[in-house]
Amino acid sequence: MKNLIDRLRGVERDIVQQPEARGPYYEPQGNEIRVFEAAWRKRLPVMLKGPTGCGKTRFLEHMAHRLGRPLVSVSCHEDLTSADLVGRFLLEGESTVWQDGPLTRAVKAGAICYLDEIVEARTDSTVIIHPLTDHRRRLPLEKRGLEIEAHEDFLLVISYNPGYQTVLKDLKPSTKQRFVAISFQYPDADTEARIVRTEVGDLEDDVARRLVAIATQARALKDHGLDEASSTRSLVYAGSLIMAGLSPLEAGEAALVSPITDDLDLAHALREIIKAHFSA
Amino acid sequence: MMETPEITIALVLNELEELSFVATRDLKTAMPSIEPFGVATTAAWAATGRDLFLFDRDAGKAFLRASPGLAGATGEVESWTGQARGFLGLRGSWKALTAYLAQFAEAHAVFGAGGALEWGEAGLGLARAHLESAEVYFSLPPARLADARGLAGLREIIEPLRALQVARGLPAGLALPGALDVRAAFGAAAVAPWATRGADILRAGRLRGESFFRLEGKDSEEALLAALPGLRTQEQERFLGLFVHAVFGASPPLRPLGLRLGARPFVETDGLTLFVPAAFPDAEEALAALLHHAGHLAFGSYETGRVHALFREMGMTHPPLDDNQNVTWRPLFAAFGDDMARFQLLFDLLEDFRIDARIQARLPNHVPRLLALAGQAPAGRVRPYFEAAVESLEMLVGRRPLISPWSELIAADADILTAFRLARVWYETNTWPAVGSAERLDAYLPGRSPNTQRPVYPRAGILGREAPEEVQDGQGAPATQAPAAKTEREASGGEDPDLEIPPEDTSGSGGRVGVGRPQPAASSRRLRQHRPGQPAGAAYPEWDYREKAYRRDWAHVQERALTETDAGCAQDLLLQHAGLLRRLRRAVQAEKPQRPIPLRRQLEGEDLDLDAAVAYVADRHSGMQPPASVYRQRRPLARDTGVLLLADLSTSIMQQSADGNGRVVDRLKAALLLFAVTLEEIGDPYAIAGFASKYRDAVSYYPIKPFDERLTAHQRAVLGGLSGRLATRMGAAIRHACMHLGRAGTGRRLLLILSDGRPADYDDGGDERYLHEDTRMAIKEAADRGIHAFCVTLDPGGGAYLERIFGRGHYLVIDQLNELPSRLPQIYLRLRDR
Repeated sequence: MKNLIDRLRGVERDIVQQPEARGPYYEPQGNEIRVFEAAWRKRLPVMLKGPTGCGKTRFLEHMAHRLGRPLVSVSCHEDLTSADLVGRFLLEGESTVWQDGPLTRAVKAGAICYLDEIVEARTDSTVIIHPLTDHRRRLPLEKRGLEIEAHEDFLLVISYNPGYQTVLKDLKPSTKQRFVAISFQYPDADTEARIVRTEVGDLEDDVARRLVAIATQARALKDHGLDEASSTRSLVYAGSLIMAGLSPLEAGEAALVSPITDDLDLAHALREIIKAHFSA
Repeated sequence: MMETPEITIALVLNELEELSFVATRDLKTAMPSIEPFGVATTAAWAATGRDLFLFDRDAGKAFLRASPGLAGATGEVESWTGQARGFLGLRGSWKALTAYLAQFAEAHAVFGAGGALEWGEAGLGLARAHLESAEVYFSLPPARLADARGLAGLREIIEPLRALQVARGLPAGLALPGALDVRAAFGAAAVAPWATRGADILRAGRLRGESFFRLEGKDSEEALLAALPGLRTQEQERFLGLFVHAVFGASPPLRPLGLRLGARPFVETDGLTLFVPAAFPDAEEALAALLHHAGHLAFGSYETGRVHALFREMGMTHPPLDDNQNVTWRPLFAAFGDDMARFQLLFDLLEDFRIDARIQARLPNHVPRLLALAGQAPAGRVRPYFEAAVESLEMLVGRRPLISPWSELIAADADILTAFRLARVWYETNTWPAVGSAERLDAYLPGRSPNTQRPVYPRAGILGREAPEEVQDGQGAPATQAPAAKTEREASGGEDPDLEIPPEDTSGSGGRVGVGRPQPAASSRRLRQHRPGQPAGAAYPEWDYREKAYRRDWAHVQERALTETDAGCAQDLLLQHAGLLRRLRRAVQAEKPQRPIPLRRQLEGEDLDLDAAVAYVADRHSGMQPPASVYRQRRPLARDTGVLLLADLSTSIMQQSADGNGRVVDRLKAALLLFAVTLEEIGDPYAIAGFASKYRDAVSYYPIKPFDERLTAHQRAVLGGLSGRLATRMGAAIRHACMHLGRAGTGRRLLLILSDGRPADYDDGGDERYLHEDTRMAIKEAADRGIHAFCVTLDPGGGAYLERIFGRGHYLVIDQLNELPSRLPQIYLRLRDR
């Protein structure tokens, strides 16, 4: 009920999200849950690797819930500075007051801090996480001239999409090797169909399977013009559009073709694949 | 006196009797067939015969002899008699008349009585302008002219040609047969533009024009391609390739087959490449055909082991190979003798079914599409084959129960051998009619084609799907060992030193230390003096680490042009890396200076810089007067970097790469090309040069692309034709390159050195430290001039000496040669942004 009300209203929520009663749906693909739990027990920072929309964020939400830890998520962007993560002085009346950034809050509260698409952030912000990731587990607050000892339950998790803009943006090796990595791939066909079905809710199994078959073939075009392959998320979108009354071809166009390419030939090829699975 | 018809006939007979026995006999023979039409008609007919005979004996005889048949066929006499008179006065027209008479009956049947006259009149019109055109016209079957549309069909083909005959003097007869083919293939609307183009070409040259109208040669192909209806493969090649790639995870290269008018759009394959017709009737057939044939490659129709198994099945130990190491199929079917076509049809029928069944498993609309395309079964003896194909496909989509032998082909382990064996069983039953090799083509469903049209390269798993069953003794290996050593010697023109040294010096590892013949020590003063014949070039000092001093004007650098070019290789390399190039381009565009980047602590801007503002207020409160730089601004960042890429072209790059995949130089070429193309895209000033050396007085510096020019096709071709020679006196080359960089006029200057081994030369006397130290000094000198040097090496052991020469973090070892083409441009971009 509370969930429902939250959905209806624009509710302000704290960035430190306490676990809710019902965790998000997650379908395990392999040993990722065991690896994460082991890393958690030893408080080793974790890197989630994998293509866009394969379920990295969902996995982490699931794990935070499973471990009963609050979660702080930060989507990194090219303008994200270290102050945006750590905190800054603000003016209040005649004086300045320090306001903690999301990372600092997570460090203090013992939350899981998730830096999504960390490569997008400026290099200075990736460097400030270094002391948090080794045995020191400390966050230096340079401007205040102090260091914060991390809460014993604090865990740093970053996500990283290796195929993504590797030409110019990549994590420094010195950053990468501080993490325990869990690799994600798109799930196998059965699992993915189950995910799509469950996520959309009430989607026919046959339709879900067709969507997955389309994605499998479309993914073969990655690096042949497609930078990002059709993700599980986009399949869920396509399924939702079908449930909302669009024809499969329309839904496919809107969710699986147009968003990922502007290339006419490529769009044409993708369209043929969708047609192949839905017009027969 | 009035001449009655009877008198006329008598007069004609009389006249002819005096002139010719044969003509009289012909007239008398024909007369009984004409007389039933009345005496007046007979008289007019006889007079026409006589007049034609008097005008031209052959014309008259032809008329008289054709008359009985024509009268019988058309049931009348006046029309053709009257029209035949039209040939009077046309000198030499008997051939046209003969043809006219021979076809009139058919014209009568096709066009009707009035239409036949119009048909004849059209021909006479042509004859008056150009007699041979009429001969051609009358010799064509009227049904072809009509194209099942009667007079309309005739007019639409004749009128454009007659107009061109008048306007441009184009002989209609020359264009007519081709025009019919063009109409049959592309429709009537295509005729006029095609003929107009031909008329132009004919004016430019008689022979060219004639071959155009025979539908031969390049001109014709171009014009026809422009008129081609349906899906033109050339235009859709990328789409088709992507689609096939999506389905199979790989796509074979597509090559166009020449234009074949009127032929069915069959796809052929040599086991590696799909040869596709210039056009398909529509996109559906193109997709079906492409999928089907890529399916053959993906599902092992031409796999080495399986091809061998087929031949073993027929008692041959080894498939016969032609000059290109291709399997020739004919011997496989030789045992079936004259009945070969029948067996091939059965074999293809079963194998095609196997392939389509497997494609269907991936693509649920494949078989429905084939069925939709199938249409009406052809008449004749091929009908059962066609129908069997349709029925078998219907089994795949559940419209019929699946029965043997088709069901056996669905099994997971079914392969081409299964199809072959089943075909032999069927062949023996004799229930399938024999077919001629021409009509057998009609037995194939649209989208399918004869499978063994071309000799094929037997290959292990073309599309990387199935594991090879077995590998035979070396047959799979292509017999094309690249002639590596050949080009090396003729690599550059002029007085290049590699032309005057014995081959043992240029082969091997490029004068690397410890390899080749012992050389006199370079570092000793006993080194020979500057050779008199050698052009001086630019002199540079060299550092002698033992003396701790420079040797003045020690090394001499000569600039030489590389004359060996290979535009094809450059083109191939760029194609091969097209995907990578696209990604690089996109990355580069994202990094282009136009893209605004946020600048902090600005005096003006669109956004408040929070941290700066707080600091500002705090400073103010503490009594300071800080500058009011509290804004964030987005603006394009101008970059000002010039880069010179200096490539080591010593002999060692001609070696096979360690991973056994081609030579080092091939990746080097690809890397340089991609680098050049990427930098063109970025727009930063850049230059490319190569170097090699033999002794201190002959350091060759090869400028390939200067700073102040855009990349030209010639420069690309030079990059494509790179080859290795001689040794690596790096220090001198670096000094010379710095001189060039100094002229680039950019704020930041970057010298990117691409090498595959340590600095060494023939005269370094085995003291590797000597040139190392000199190179280190050259780098220092560069740094003093504000030039940042960075070395990319392919030498896996480079870490041992490069750190000492270039300093930590100023070199990169790439031991995965394959990565070089993608890494090099990236390295530049990273360095630039440092």
